[in-house]
Amino acid sequence: MIETPTALLPRYPGTNADEETARALRVAGFDATIVPSAVLTREAIAAAQLIVFSGGFSYGDYVMSGRIAQLITQQKLTGALEEFVERGGYVLGICNGFQILTKLGLLPKASLIENTSGRFQCRWVKLRVKNEQNPFLRELPADVDIEFPIAHAEGRLVAPPGEAARYASDGCAALTYAGENPNGSEEAIAGLQNASGRVFGLMPHPERFLYANQHYDRDWPEKSGEATWGWGYYFFKGIYRSVSGEASLLASA
Amino acid sequence: MSTPTAVYRHIQIRDLDADALVALSKKMKLALFRDDMLAVQSYYRDKDREPTDVELEVIAQTWSEHCKHRIFGARIEHTLDGRLEVVDGLFKSHIKAVSERIFARKPGFVLGAFVDNAGFIALDTERAVCLKVETHNHPSAIEPYAGANTGLGGVIRDILGAGKGAKPIASMDVFCFGPPDTRQESLKAKDVIHPLGVMRGVVRGVRDYGNRMGIPTVNGAIQFDPAYTYNPLVFCGTAGVIPRADIDKAMRAGLQIVAVGARTGRDGLKGATFSSVSLTADSHAEDQSAVQIGNPIEEKKASDLILHARAEGLIVFLTDCGAGGFSSAAGEMLSEVGGELFLERAPLKEDGLASWQVLLSESQERMVLAVEEADVPRLRELADMHQTEMTVLGHSDGTGILKIWHHGALVCELDNARLHEAPRRHLVSSWSGSPLAADAAADAVIASPAPLLKQLLADFAICSREPVIREYDHQVQGNTILTPLAGATGDAPQDGAVMRVDGSPRLVNLACALLPEWGKFDPFRAGAATVDECIRQLVVTGADPDQIAILDNFCMGNPDDPRELGGLVESVKGLCEAAEIYGAPFISGKDSFYNFFMTDEGPVSIPVTALVSGLGIVMEAAHVTGSSLRRTDSDVMLLGAWQGTPLGGSVAARVLGRTGDAVPATDCAKNMALYRAYYEAVKSGLILSAHDVSEGGLAVALAEMAFSEVAGLEIDTQVPLFAEPTGCLVVEVAPAHRENLVRQLAAAGVESVLLGRTTAAHRRLVIRTGGEGVDEPLADLKALWKGSLAAWY
Repeated sequence: MIETPTALLPRYPGTNADEETARALRVAGFDATIVPSAVLTREAIAAAQLIVFSGGFSYGDYVMSGRIAQLITQQKLTGALEEFVERGGYVLGICNGFQILTKLGLLPKASLIENTSGRFQCRWVKLRVKNEQNPFLRELPADVDIEFPIAHAEGRLVAPPGEAARYASDGCAALTYAGENPNGSEEAIAGLQNASGRVFGLMPHPERFLYANQHYDRDWPEKSGEATWGWGYYFFKGIYRSVSGEASLLASA
Repeated sequence: MSTPTAVYRHIQIRDLDADALVALSKKMKLALFRDDMLAVQSYYRDKDREPTDVELEVIAQTWSEHCKHRIFGARIEHTLDGRLEVVDGLFKSHIKAVSERIFARKPGFVLGAFVDNAGFIALDTERAVCLKVETHNHPSAIEPYAGANTGLGGVIRDILGAGKGAKPIASMDVFCFGPPDTRQESLKAKDVIHPLGVMRGVVRGVRDYGNRMGIPTVNGAIQFDPAYTYNPLVFCGTAGVIPRADIDKAMRAGLQIVAVGARTGRDGLKGATFSSVSLTADSHAEDQSAVQIGNPIEEKKASDLILHARAEGLIVFLTDCGAGGFSSAAGEMLSEVGGELFLERAPLKEDGLASWQVLLSESQERMVLAVEEADVPRLRELADMHQTEMTVLGHSDGTGILKIWHHGALVCELDNARLHEAPRRHLVSSWSGSPLAADAAADAVIASPAPLLKQLLADFAICSREPVIREYDHQVQGNTILTPLAGATGDAPQDGAVMRVDGSPRLVNLACALLPEWGKFDPFRAGAATVDECIRQLVVTGADPDQIAILDNFCMGNPDDPRELGGLVESVKGLCEAAEIYGAPFISGKDSFYNFFMTDEGPVSIPVTALVSGLGIVMEAAHVTGSSLRRTDSDVMLLGAWQGTPLGGSVAARVLGRTGDAVPATDCAKNMALYRAYYEAVKSGLILSAHDVSEGGLAVALAEMAFSEVAGLEIDTQVPLFAEPTGCLVVEVAPAHRENLVRQLAAAGVESVLLGRTTAAHRRLVIRTGGEGVDEPLADLKALWKGSLAAWY
């Protein structure tokens, strides 16, 4: 078991959710470091156990969201990410980070385009874990809806014809919207993983529900039986257990 | 290729007569008055030379209303109801004087006010929080998206430039628009943008800047009134957090002056002087160059650099490039110590800028730092790391003289001590019309409360702002504890926003208030009530009532009109009297004049509009109850003095077409006793939820609390349903705690009355009054409230 695994968070110009994501990773047990993309190296990638692409608006997202970040990353790292994944490394993308991951080709073919509402939407959504084997979701319950906030204008997941249904059946669609589909995603897909499950991207923001009192309902802590932590804590704790090799809470319960 | 040279000229002014000087000011769009021009002429006669155009532009910008607040510094002969009183500067004799008395009463609370880019208050032993609110009215009228975009961008830079660099943690945005249902053909001037176009543009401008910067937009307000159709108001505010040790900064000789961020271009020329005159129909065509396009990613990179450089202790002094560009930044940094700038070093967006354009350009996303020469290499490393441009523009030298060079030519040489002495303005104002006779029985004439309640819930003054709020990211940074919409369903209105601060056991909350409708009738009472409402909202969302600071933002029409200026004077007096009693000092403020518009049918002015924004310290997260019902078996009480409240200024009065009612007076001392007693009850854990009574009165407050859909309400009361008393709170309390609460309140001399209870039996709002009551499904009321603005936005 790795006691304190290393998480590396590339920060592009316009990345803006890196600090709270690093905070959540540290609370879960990681040694988390934010690295501006200008000084990002292949060596730093190789030395980490987890790479996290945080939310924000990399390079402003004025062209397709995540596209410039993808080009810069591929130019700088030339295959280092692919090698990292090959060797068993974990990669997470949240919101803009998910958009970047889809462009980088580390996930099954999909794109995140403008919401059907045509608007940026900041709201809480209900979600359902669909793949209990997913190493990022393993500490979250699969039998009840969980909640995270979303905040995006381009979160509608679209895939080549027939593919979204396949992701839903083969477990790649590891996280889906429950109830209202806030952006029109095919198969209500909120989070997508690769075949191994070690690369995962999602539109919702688990780092914004680390503490129980971040929930909009003052009574959530009592209703959920959890006074201290929000669902985001269990999300990041799950990643920690997967990456560090620590036994699962749920398995031991 | 020709060698680049300075582009400047000398202007002959020494031999001009006063009329010719005024004509010159007008021709060059300097917005300088006769006395100003005479003072400038005298300066150059003393120097025995003619000024350069660069120098005249620098002086015009420095002395502009926008930068110097000359109306708030003016001597005003004010007549109130026939009695003359002399106001020796509204700022000095009122706002600052009141605040300084409070600073003395509360040592250690305010850590900086009126001097820096923002005011600071203590959060805990290590950290301070700060807040700044700016207006961007004229640009938003002409180009709503870009105007609001750069308005928010500008105030974020104020925070980045506060102390040695504060971290922006939350934004608030307050707008005044014409009604969404304004008829296009009713607009009486060419090129005026319909209120809906203004609203959509402004909201998206704020959205695209705030969201991209990663600063949560957590608080705000929208007022709709036909008076704002030609002159929309856009207030942008940002709060920040900074280590206390990094608040104080001082210039000295021998420092390098460094520009960071975006390049300098022709955009945003003369914004400071542009905003100091009124709009006309031609403004839409002529003043386009004064409005710019924002680039939030440039600002984010500059922000990354500044916060990193501050953490490494590299910054000695820092300010933003706002109105006046390098000229005002250099003026601020070099006005006393003196120094030299070399304009040819400034990276430009395009070639061919005249010297004054480089110096005065208000291109966005630029900051100016002063650093030790030895630290320049490290700063350059950090700039490369954060992918932002940095340039050493010059240095400070201890001469007390500001010298600006361009390609070897000395284009500006000003004695800064003289430069900052604008002649004082003398103004005349008057106000008459003491409060109208109170009409305490007014509420009794409302025979059918249910239809009125429905009308009010759907009124633009009250209906949900959800379509706008959802376009703002209010949770980025992961520290928002109370969001603008919350409650068990996540869409019920709250009275303010609460933010946690990393590393601190304490939290900070934000709220704002404005009552322009009241101000039309009684600006003094409106002023006091505005302060009260802001403080009330902060207290209801968890602040310690004795740890609150406020900001004033005044907007008005024509200050040269004695009646309009009289309204402003009375408004300032009202604000100050309340602030003093609440012990809530002003720590910063800003004003905006000439918000009047020449239509085809004559001038249209805005009502005097005073925005009060507040920053409060919340001692622990448990004090944040929210404003939404939480239980099906609790008691609902009204705290505060509600009796005899006249209907003047209320939404109900406007909807009913009533005139002649007085505006409610505010008993600040009594209200403060309530807020303190309420806070004690919160600390004792007696309060489940609380909401302030404001627009729409008690009936609307009850409905809004019930929009969490947790419980129905059974109310039985004689309290008027639609009056808008100040200093009143509706609270939800567990029956087991009610006696204890009433005892605590009574001991503090605070009135309370039991209104009714929540119930699991239904989801209706039932109000029994003795006469005709209310019995409506909450779902119907909520649909009216939620759908009204959504239909237009």
